[in-house]
Parts: sequence; structure tokens; C-alpha cells
Amino acid sequence: VRAFLAGASIQLRFMRAYPDAVIPFFTAPMFTVIFMMIFKHAGRADLTAYAAIAPVFIALWWLALFNSGWAITLERWNGTLEMLVAAPSSFAATILGRITTTTMIGVVSFVETWLVARLIFGTTVTIHHPWAFVATVVVTLAAMAGTAVAMSSLFVLARNAVTFSNSASYPFYVLGGILVPVSALPHWIRPVSAIVFLSWSADLLRATLNSAPVHDLAFRLGMIALLGACGFAVGAWAMRVILVRVRDTGELGTT
Amino acid sequence: VSGANDYFAIFTLKSWILGWFLRIISQVTFFALIGTLLQSDEQTKFFLIGNAVMVAGMGATFAMNMTTAERGNGTLSLLLASPSRPVVVFASRGIYVMADAVFSALLGLFILGPAFGLHFPMPRTILVVPLTLLVGFSAYCFSTFLAGVILRRREITGLVVNATIVTLMALCGVNVPVSFYPGWLEAISRCLPITNGLEAIRAVIDGDSWSTIAAHAGAELLVALAWLTLALATFGRFLHAGQRDGTLDYAS
Repeated sequence: VRAFLAGASIQLRFMRAYPDAVIPFFTAPMFTVIFMMIFKHAGRADLTAYAAIAPVFIALWWLALFNSGWAITLERWNGTLEMLVAAPSSFAATILGRITTTTMIGVVSFVETWLVARLIFGTTVTIHHPWAFVATVVVTLAAMAGTAVAMSSLFVLARNAVTFSNSASYPFYVLGGILVPVSALPHWIRPVSAIVFLSWSADLLRATLNSAPVHDLAFRLGMIALLGACGFAVGAWAMRVILVRVRDTGELGTT
Repeated sequence: VSGANDYFAIFTLKSWILGWFLRIISQVTFFALIGTLLQSDEQTKFFLIGNAVMVAGMGATFAMNMTTAERGNGTLSLLLASPSRPVVVFASRGIYVMADAVFSALLGLFILGPAFGLHFPMPRTILVVPLTLLVGFSAYCFSTFLAGVILRRREITGLVVNATIVTLMALCGVNVPVSFYPGWLEAISRCLPITNGLEAIRAVIDGDSWSTIAAHAGAELLVALAWLTLALATFGRFLHAGQRDGTLDYAS
């Protein structure tokens, strides 16, 4: 737990020191403006929930890709990975502390997005199913952190990690149906969407803002948790591979 | 030449296709799908054209990273000591990013257009190519001006680049017509890059009169020249101000 808290603490300091870390908190309100304008111009007030949800996912995904995703790589570049690995505390717990902190801070984008909707467009976002909403947010954040662990580990192993993280935004926004539901995508691509946890999260969050009853809540929450857990398992495996490899080959001090 | 070397060090053909190009296609698709959600072919066409052309503006804004990277690489002191004008070298380093962005925008438009049922009237659609180049150039002039403004604050480059892109996306008539904005915002929008050029491109595809197209294109050119003049006039000052007060650290 102490290693986890230490990771959380250092991540907060990083975020204060590097303005790039707060980019999504500037872009999320602007995306809200864009989506709200689109639906207002089209006369579709019924789609407000869509406009209120998508910027949050954009912010959370950005944080997972660029802040959490680069956690281990930055430790390598800063030359602190050796000390972290040699320390008696759990390496995984420290990294998880950093990633969890980043993901939790992403919740701020909910507040921003809904404030913009209220103050600029006079639209109130109503949560019709508060308990289902809270449960979905919690499971989504956990799945996001699990996916971020996978990214963080895989980025160390992948040579083209920079290209991937710069490019992996919109493809996942489309596949995840964060604004336009997956049902609007061509049939052949829907099975791919089904294994992207964002698609389950976005659908469920939109449903909680709708007055209609939420169907299959437990199953849908379970799918988000399962896909997030798969991400975490991949990340944990890759982290083990990295540590074994750098110790075996003696690369730890030279990376 | 330095810009080309920079650029080819960043991308290989494989990483360009699987990374950058996939992202561009997805980005334009993401917005075009909103038209599908709204069940409106007109809206789909509007989003598709707007967001494809926006790619040219976005890439040109990314070029800001290339100029401020000069500081991070520790080559700024050499550049300042050389007889060349810094703004010319800075501008050249990002020009390839802009060229790629224009190319990507056109690919996005002409690949996804037919996929979403968009019809391009020929031969007038050929005009879209130089007009997209004009939009990219205009955004590039704007981004070079911003690069000068933030030259002494390299740590906020990423923030400024991303905030600029979404702001342009919101204010340049990319996703809603400019007439939808309040009057004062429309006036600001007309002074930004992309807005007028995008209207010219929409006018070409919609089959509007040549005079309308010329008026929009002329306005975009004026805006581009205004930002270029501003960039040329201020870049040196920002640089020298940094030299005077010691805030222009040469490496980080």
C-alpha cells in the first residue's frame, strides 16, 4: 500500500510540473462545445447525453494513452527504473499507484463537460439511474486503469510505441462508439467493437442518462470488468517479461 | 532540407500508413458517422468535408512542435548564431508536416467521400486540391505565429498545440455553419485560418458560382497573409526578448 501511495504521490507531482498532463482538461470542454453545437444545430436535444459522455471518454482515453501509458517508459528515460526495480517495494504497486491516480483525476472531466453543457448551452444532464451510473463509472475507471497497465508495459516492448500512442485515439473512439453507438457501424466491424471495453461503457453510461429502464446491467458491467481485467492481465504479464528481460540481459543500467 | 530529414526520421511508410493515416481515416469517419446518427445525408457530407479539410489545418498546427523542438534539441544557439533568419529556418522545418497534412486531408476526403455516398462533380472538384493547400498554408502561418509566442515557454507547446486544434475545430465552421455562431464569434471565426477556405471548398463541391468561390478563397488568402506578416514581424522580437531576459534556455 505504501508503494501504491508513493506512486500516487509522485504522479500528482508530475502532473503539476508538466502542463502536457492537463491537456485533456482543456480539450474536453472544447469537445463538449463541438458536440453540443452539432446536436443543437441539428435540433436534436434528445442526443444531449451523447454529447455529455463522449468528451469524458476522450479525456480518460487520452490520460490512459499519454500519461499512464508512458509511466514505465519515462522511468526508463529518467534513469529511475533501476532504483524502482531494486527497491524492496513492489514495482507493480508503484506503477499501479501512478496509473490509478491519473485515471481518478480523469473524473474531473465529467464535471467540466457537464458545467459547459449547463453554462454555455443551458442544458442540464440528468442522471436517471444514479446507482447504475455510479457503478458504471467505477467499473469503467477500473477497466481504464487495467488497459493503461497493458499500454504502459507494452509501450516498453513495442518499438513503435510513440506512433501507436499518437494514432490510437480516433480508431478507438470509433470502435468504442463513444459518440455514435456501435449499432451505427457496419456489421462486419461490430465484433471488433465488442472486445473494446469502451463500447460497453459508453452504451451503458448513455443508458443511465436515459429515462428508459437499463437492461442487463449486471451482464454489461461484467463485460466491462472482464475486458478491463484482460487488459490488466496482459499488462501484468508484459511487466514480468520486461523485468526478467532487463535483468537477464543486463540492459537495466543502459536503457 | 533539414525539415525533410526531420520528417523522414519520424515516419517510415509502414508507420505512416498504420499510424498516421489510420488515425486520419478514423478521425474523419468519427465525425462523418454523426451524420449517420442524425440520419441526414446533408449533415454527413458537411461533417465529412469539414473534418477532412480540418486535417490539413491540424497537421499545420502540429508543425508548431517542430519549431519549438529546436530549443529542446539544443540547436537554437547555433541557429541564432547563423546568418540565416531564424523564422525562415523555423518555417522550413515544419513545411513537410504541413505538406503531409494537406495530402492526408485530400486522401481522407477522396477515399471516405465515396464510401459515405458523397458525389464529387468533375472537373471543378480538382479545385479542391489547391484550396486545401491554401487552408494548410493559412493554418501554417497561424501556427508559426503561435510558435513565436510560445518559444520561450517550450513546456506548454503540447498544451497550446492541442488546445489550438480543438479551438479551430470548434470555431472554423468545421462541424456547424459559421452562420450558427453569434455575430461576434462569426467575426472572430472569419479572421482565423480554415474558415474561409473551407467555405470555398464546400462551394466548389456544392456547385456554387465561381464568384462565391473566389470571394471565399480570396478571404482565406488574405487571412493567411495577415498571419504570415504577423509571424514575420513578431518572431524575431520574441526571440530577442528571450535572449535579453535569459528565458531562452538553449536546451532542456
